[in-house]
Amino acid sequence: MSVSERERVAHVLRRLSMGVQPDLAASMASAGGAITRALDMSGPVAVPPPLPSVAAADKPKPRAELLRMTGALAWWFARMASPEQMIAERLIWFWTDHFAINMQKVRSADLVWQYHATIRQHATGSFAELLHGVAKSGAMLVFLDGIQNSVHERNENFAREVMELHTLGRDQYSQADIVAASRSFTGWLARLPYSPATERSAPAATPEFGSYLLERRHDDGTKTLLGATGDFDLDRALDVILSQPATARFIAAKLYRALVGLTPDPATVDALASGFRSNWSITELVHAIVARPDLVADAAVRTIARSPLEKLVGLAEATGTAHVKVGPALTALRTLGYLPFFAPNPAGYPSGPALYGPQQLVHAFDLAFAVDSVVPGPAPDVLARFGVFDASTTTRDLVDRTSNARQRTLLALGSPEFCLR
Amino acid sequence: MSPRRISRREFLAGLGATGVVAAAGGYGITTWAGHDSRASPTSRPATGAGGAVPPRTLVLLELAGGNDALNMVIPRDPAYRTLRPTLGVTDPIELDGAIGLSPKLTTLAQQYRSGRLAIVEGIGVPNPNLSHFASLQRWWTADPDLHTPTGWIGRYLDRAVGTGDPVAGVAIGPGPSPVLSGAVSFATAISDARGLQPARIDADVRDALLASWADLVPAHPEPDLLGVLQRAIGETLDARGRISRDLGTATAPNAASPSGSAAAAGSANALADALDLAARLAGSPDHPRVIHVHVDGDYDTHAAEAERHPALMTELDAAVDRFIKTLDSVHASDRVVLATMSEFGRRVAENGSGTDHGTAAAHFVLGAPVRGGRHGDPPSLTKLDPNGNLVMTIDYRDYDAALLEWLDPTADTEAILGKRSPLPHLFT
Repeated sequence: MSVSERERVAHVLRRLSMGVQPDLAASMASAGGAITRALDMSGPVAVPPPLPSVAAADKPKPRAELLRMTGALAWWFARMASPEQMIAERLIWFWTDHFAINMQKVRSADLVWQYHATIRQHATGSFAELLHGVAKSGAMLVFLDGIQNSVHERNENFAREVMELHTLGRDQYSQADIVAASRSFTGWLARLPYSPATERSAPAATPEFGSYLLERRHDDGTKTLLGATGDFDLDRALDVILSQPATARFIAAKLYRALVGLTPDPATVDALASGFRSNWSITELVHAIVARPDLVADAAVRTIARSPLEKLVGLAEATGTAHVKVGPALTALRTLGYLPFFAPNPAGYPSGPALYGPQQLVHAFDLAFAVDSVVPGPAPDVLARFGVFDASTTTRDLVDRTSNARQRTLLALGSPEFCLR
Repeated sequence: MSPRRISRREFLAGLGATGVVAAAGGYGITTWAGHDSRASPTSRPATGAGGAVPPRTLVLLELAGGNDALNMVIPRDPAYRTLRPTLGVTDPIELDGAIGLSPKLTTLAQQYRSGRLAIVEGIGVPNPNLSHFASLQRWWTADPDLHTPTGWIGRYLDRAVGTGDPVAGVAIGPGPSPVLSGAVSFATAISDARGLQPARIDADVRDALLASWADLVPAHPEPDLLGVLQRAIGETLDARGRISRDLGTATAPNAASPSGSAAAAGSANALADALDLAARLAGSPDHPRVIHVHVDGDYDTHAAEAERHPALMTELDAAVDRFIKTLDSVHASDRVVLATMSEFGRRVAENGSGTDHGTAAAHFVLGAPVRGGRHGDPPSLTKLDPNGNLVMTIDYRDYDAALLEWLDPTADTEAILGKRSPLPHLFT
């Protein structure tokens, strides 16, 4: 496929933002300019709005809690479609997928929104701080059973997943390392207003939904983790894991794939990882990845299946919908298996062919009910609003000859071009 | 109207799996796990050969939340009354002097007496984890260590069907079913009798849209990932057409179902609607091999169990009754089996108003091919684990293996479930 410059500009924007940025895609002069614009973080930094409060007496119910997040999610969807802080929003979703949680288990919207704030705070900053922050977030402590993990009764869930999914990658550690890490992680709890036990044991300074270490549940013995020996606690164990070369390689390769849409060769991974390890700067890693010619090469264009969430954001941008209707959006995302904070498993959300099965393709149309208008204007503009410039003649002809504006919008939403990014 | 299209399987075979891996951005042939390093991109095509696969359908019914099987299949044991002083079922339908059924399960009791209901006691997951999520994943993947990203049925479909048939596995419920998710096969999910339809679009708009959508599939798809998507749209429309035809909903998606009732429009019993739909699909000419049914039930009876669990049993019994009748009406009773699953049973001792998360549980396997009666060994109510939970007597993977071997005697059970000892004598 030969790629037009307009398509290349759009390609850069959809890789470095969560949506399609139709106005920029139509106006930016070059792909290089689009990269600079997408990475520009000089604009105002968004602060998550607070959740509406509720009486904390009862154990929260996931569905009711999700509804309590309606305003928060509307705000987040708007951030994803914003032309400001594009790379930050791309990275916030990347880390939300990387450090996946599921509200069926976490239950509390407060825990989830606090975890989101932690990701938002560190998404473009230090990976080390991000990892430590998420590991101590109440949401992750609940989701991966950290709160069950004590010197009396060890739970290996978080220890295994943090090494396999969050840092080292598979086959980089032994079962003995899992035991050592889980011992190091023992004793952390989250203060839950609906849990009398944590209300009793939390130090007075602990905020609601904050986490704390309860010494009597912590195993302070000596551990040997990944070749290092010491009386590790959670922070020091994470630092041992970070010191392994595999961690920087694993993260650098994964972020490369997410942005470039291709698998990096080993030399590329080595080069990216050695810089990344020196200071864990996520922003510098992003710059190192996009500085290579790979991102703008023809071979990188339209190699990633667009997720339902990215379709929603692109649709909102295409139709100029400032405020997505959260109810229909959540209904559609639930049908599509892509509800934020409801990852199907700790490894994150579906990708690749799982995103273009029959259910996915048909129910993408459901997303149209979350936006309140159609894309106006003649056909070529409709595809451009969806960030599609190099369309097949089949798609182009069909959209051209469809006279109904609603139908044109739905066809662009359902086009094979828009299913990729 | 629809021209002959090359299937995705043929396309993949032509391109070569590695080409697709590269085109898909290094994410490999991924799965619901979205975890590239775990997915094994075996693009093994449908065998087609072998030929000896019988035309059977397995309907897996997920009782979500952790069914209290001890109040469904009631042991006649003094310990039960001791541990369940207020919630214990006092008037079970006696079956054999050792166990009884919840008094709400009149249809199931009748099926038991006619030899079509197997009650399998003591099924559990090794090293049980009492989390809903972790336990469900263990059931879905049939991997207690959770090192496998695919569902066990998905792995079966990968091998037996490959990429060519998107309705070989159908989920009925709110979304995709992880148990059906394979590395290369993908299953279709429908939420109700409207089938594979976009939600909330008026019929005329929808029909016009989908007709136009078909025109997005060119005669000669592009040679890259865009071409894969073009073909995927074509396959999706084929799947939709098949499901619509099978359900008789091609022209009137909200009309009454062939089985007469208000099924398609939705009745008060969502589970009955879903099982009615499953039966109609199972009875259709190119029926799915596996149907996974999961409705939003709430079997997680930590509290108010005295009211809630009997209501759930009433709903279940009515749903099974409708399933049996619909299956009979579509003449599929002799080749369809329904089997239950649930993430765990519940704590033996009640907590005051309900029961907490437990471990092993009894399950039902229903249908004409089933060898009715009691199977497995009932777990002891007195020798409990340190959490006060039942100690399992049957590994859930042996249950899965028995179901799989019935479904497809040619299936490579070991490759899909590991080395297992399938629960014997479950089928005639």
